[in-house]
Amino acid sequence: MNIFGAEATEEKAENARLASFVGALALGDLVKSTLGPKGMNKILQSGSSGEINVTNDGATILKSIQLDNAAAKILVNISKVQDDEVGDGTTSVCVLAAELLREAEKLISQRIHPQTIIEGYRIASAAALGALEKAATDNSTDPARFRQDLMNIARTTLSSKVLSQDKDYFANLAVDAVLRLKGSTDLEHIQVIKKVGGKLTDSYLDEGFILDKTIGTNCPKRLENANILIANTSMDTDKIKVFGARIKVDSTGKLAELERAEKEKMKAKVDAIAAHGINCFVNRQLIYNYPESLLAEKGIMTIEHADFEGVERLALVTGGEIASTFDHPELVKLGRCELIEEIMIGEDKLIKFSGVAAGEACTVVLRGSTNQMIDEAERSLHDALSVLSQTVKETRIVLGGGCSEMLMSCAVDEEARKVQGKKAIAAEAFARALRMIPTILADNAGYDSSDLVAKLRAAHYEGKSDSGLNMNEGTIGSMVELGVTESYKLKSQVVISASEAAEMILRVDDILRAAPRRREAV
Amino acid sequence: MSAVAPSPQALATGSNKAFNDRGKPMEVRLSNMVAAKAISDAVRTSLGPRGMDKMIQTSKGELIITNDGATILKSIQALHPAAKMLVDLSAAQDVEAGDGTTSVVVLAGSLLGAAEKMLQKGMHPTVIAESFQKASAKAVEYLTELSTPINLDDKTSLLRAATTSLNSKIVSQYSSTLAPIAVSAVTRLATQTSSNVDLRDIRIVKKVGGTIEDTELVDGVVLNQNVVTTVGGLTRIEKAKIGLIQFQLSAPKPDMDNTVVINDYRQMDKVIKEGRQYLLNICKKIKKANCNVLLIQKSILRDAVDDISLTFLKRLNILVVKDVERDEIEFLSKSLGCKPIADIDAFTEDKLGYADLVEETTHAGAKVVRITGVKNRGRTVSILAMGSNSLVLEECERSLHDALCVVRCLVKKRALIAGGGAPEIHVSRLLSQYAHTLKGMEAYCFQAYADALEVIPTTLAENAGLNPIAIVTELRNRHALGERNAGINVRKGLISNILEEDVVQPLLVSTSAIELSTETVCLLLKIDDYVQTR
Repeated sequence: MNIFGAEATEEKAENARLASFVGALALGDLVKSTLGPKGMNKILQSGSSGEINVTNDGATILKSIQLDNAAAKILVNISKVQDDEVGDGTTSVCVLAAELLREAEKLISQRIHPQTIIEGYRIASAAALGALEKAATDNSTDPARFRQDLMNIARTTLSSKVLSQDKDYFANLAVDAVLRLKGSTDLEHIQVIKKVGGKLTDSYLDEGFILDKTIGTNCPKRLENANILIANTSMDTDKIKVFGARIKVDSTGKLAELERAEKEKMKAKVDAIAAHGINCFVNRQLIYNYPESLLAEKGIMTIEHADFEGVERLALVTGGEIASTFDHPELVKLGRCELIEEIMIGEDKLIKFSGVAAGEACTVVLRGSTNQMIDEAERSLHDALSVLSQTVKETRIVLGGGCSEMLMSCAVDEEARKVQGKKAIAAEAFARALRMIPTILADNAGYDSSDLVAKLRAAHYEGKSDSGLNMNEGTIGSMVELGVTESYKLKSQVVISASEAAEMILRVDDILRAAPRRREAV
Repeated sequence: MSAVAPSPQALATGSNKAFNDRGKPMEVRLSNMVAAKAISDAVRTSLGPRGMDKMIQTSKGELIITNDGATILKSIQALHPAAKMLVDLSAAQDVEAGDGTTSVVVLAGSLLGAAEKMLQKGMHPTVIAESFQKASAKAVEYLTELSTPINLDDKTSLLRAATTSLNSKIVSQYSSTLAPIAVSAVTRLATQTSSNVDLRDIRIVKKVGGTIEDTELVDGVVLNQNVVTTVGGLTRIEKAKIGLIQFQLSAPKPDMDNTVVINDYRQMDKVIKEGRQYLLNICKKIKKANCNVLLIQKSILRDAVDDISLTFLKRLNILVVKDVERDEIEFLSKSLGCKPIADIDAFTEDKLGYADLVEETTHAGAKVVRITGVKNRGRTVSILAMGSNSLVLEECERSLHDALCVVRCLVKKRALIAGGGAPEIHVSRLLSQYAHTLKGMEAYCFQAYADALEVIPTTLAENAGLNPIAIVTELRNRHALGERNAGINVRKGLISNILEEDVVQPLLVSTSAIELSTETVCLLLKIDDYVQTR
């Protein structure tokens, strides 16, 4: 009997579980080599456009690959959530979830029921989070130490990225940018401009806003105390937008009159714009020659064709509103800034707005040798910025370098001893999965992971709760001294998301797949 | 594990102590290196004054002959991701320094070769990458120390740098013509304080005809377009008042769709008459403002200028140039000191530019419009490039661009170093000395980096048909004896003090080549997988 439609499939019990484990583990293995300061990059090559991307950002890799496995898609999702929530740790969360599943697979083959495993995992994750919270420190009351914390976090985040060589430089840059935000997590205020050429350390932080456009002909190239009208209006001619509208005339003279009328209309519009008392006019659309010259005559700087993003950002940072009608100058909020000038980056001329109303706004200009380099640098910087901005809100920090994981793993082991029944085995498995993170870190660096992790565990049992992996030397060291710190929020989010995802996948015992939608032959 | 591993397969079975890589990442890495080195080999022979040119046939069937690294690489349709990155690398060098686009790729290829050997010895790629970065910082330090600061007033030094750059191009025999042009073009734009020069303020107008020797720096403006002479217009105006208009001299056309409805033949006459009258009025207004040279912007919507108005303008003794592009307006208005006029009613005398002479001359078979003796000139420069055929002309332009960039580099960073492989050998020697003071993997990587830098003198010698081993070892020897400026004198085929031969280059070209290539190599080293995406 055929219950399902043609081509719809069902996978049951063992098969379903196997399918999800295989998918999740494969994905975990794919990204695990990018973990940590000695992690490797991947080339993402687009099948359709042939474009290439070089990255070691977990979220970017996972987003880009095509998947046909339900469980793998869940991992991609948690990595995305991590990216949205904290911005970094996207690889860790995926790897941890995969490791939890790997352990679960072993338990299932020992005939332990998935629900029991889930219970054990829950106990373990609560214990782990408890230990993490206890280990977290908070320096937010002391500005100098807090800044040091932020620097450390930025350095730790960046050390696993392409910017690792210049991490001090960029950590400083990121901290400066985030501190300008004064507690807001709205990264919209930090604009990143990418220009090929130069080297990474030629990148810099600039206060104000930079627009990648040119100033209109015949306008002043430098303007102080600018009143900016940001508009989205057509500056060619106000056409009557009725389809097929036509004019019928019987002589050329009348055509000329019409042409004149059109020009008058434009002139009226320009006058209306000028009535706002502005000296800078930014339009999203093109500004034609005629209105441009009229505006220039009135001493108004024109910037045409600033695209959607540019206009919106400009409105945000200068405190203006985007206008499209100009009949009521008193209702329109104008943008303000102290200075508009042309600057050169590489071979391109750009417009810089400095002294803008939104003081937190700033621009990071990224330079680098290749497009791939700059794109990756942007992603890394974005990760660092979002982690930092989250840390400004949730000021607690924990230690990195595998230290927190080992700490949690020890706490889970402790807890497991008190638990009765099969759940204890699952809790122990959770501890093992946590220990996989330092193992992978060491593996990626080419060190003897089993030896190092054993030493690390011993150190933690001896009470040196700040020990972690010193990735430069391949030894165990104090993470406090090395300044390897991470945001508490990041770490706890990793554990929460990973264990929830693992739980979700474990509960699955049946995969139903709808028939793929039929497409006409392409 | 033994120091020299025969193959990646053998590596995989090594002990866990050394870096133990899985099979696939190693393969990926090697494939990257093979691709990158193939690209670097492709341009290698075009390095240096005795480098060879490449003939490139583009997909459209056009032919390019060049030995400019950036141009060659742009035209190669690289498929391999690693190869594409090298193409980008060369483009970045073009943006940053404008010259040395071949060297940067050759250097990257050589660094990758060095890295490959170390990978096979079982070193971890990130260790290599980090050490390379440190080595490049050190190399830049040594280069800066070697350089001599210059002053922008020192024209002879600038000239020497431009000549050196031009000597490695097809147009090398004309370097004595082109170098002074490049130098005076840039120095006219640069001031003592400026840190950059916008090369868009230098306009190169290409005309086929004559030889490269006829290339000149025009005191004034050269137009891309020719004078309209279809109705026998003027070609020479003295005491010219130049109007730059953005409106059209043709039948009126509103933006809305329109139809002229004609009911009988009398009306036909009327329409024609009115049309003529309309144009005549405009032309008269132009004349009234004392304008006698008219530059008309191209229009896509309608004819910029039609035959009737051309006739009127001719009768009013106005010289007409049409088809001025919109993006030229900025340059023209800046250099002629006039303002663009978008409407006939705004056509007033104060918006016009003044020049002593506007003339279309025939020079070696090419018609050229020159505007000389411009009052209120902006800071712009026009160069008239000539060449016997378009291939030579294109290459001449590229070479000129490189020479301009070289001079601009000196504006950006006012220091010169010797050419002819001298700085590379110098840095290589100091780096390997420094390597002896280091310990562990780093020492090894520094040594390899130092050796890799020798690729530049080696290639120079190879391309000049000299014995590379003999030349490079002698060069090393001379440097060890303290002759810091000994380099390969390609023309005479021996080692001599390269500064005395006037072979110099801007510091920025060398430092940026080293920094950019190292950055790219490090990025390539860290790749261990390809992932196919949508």
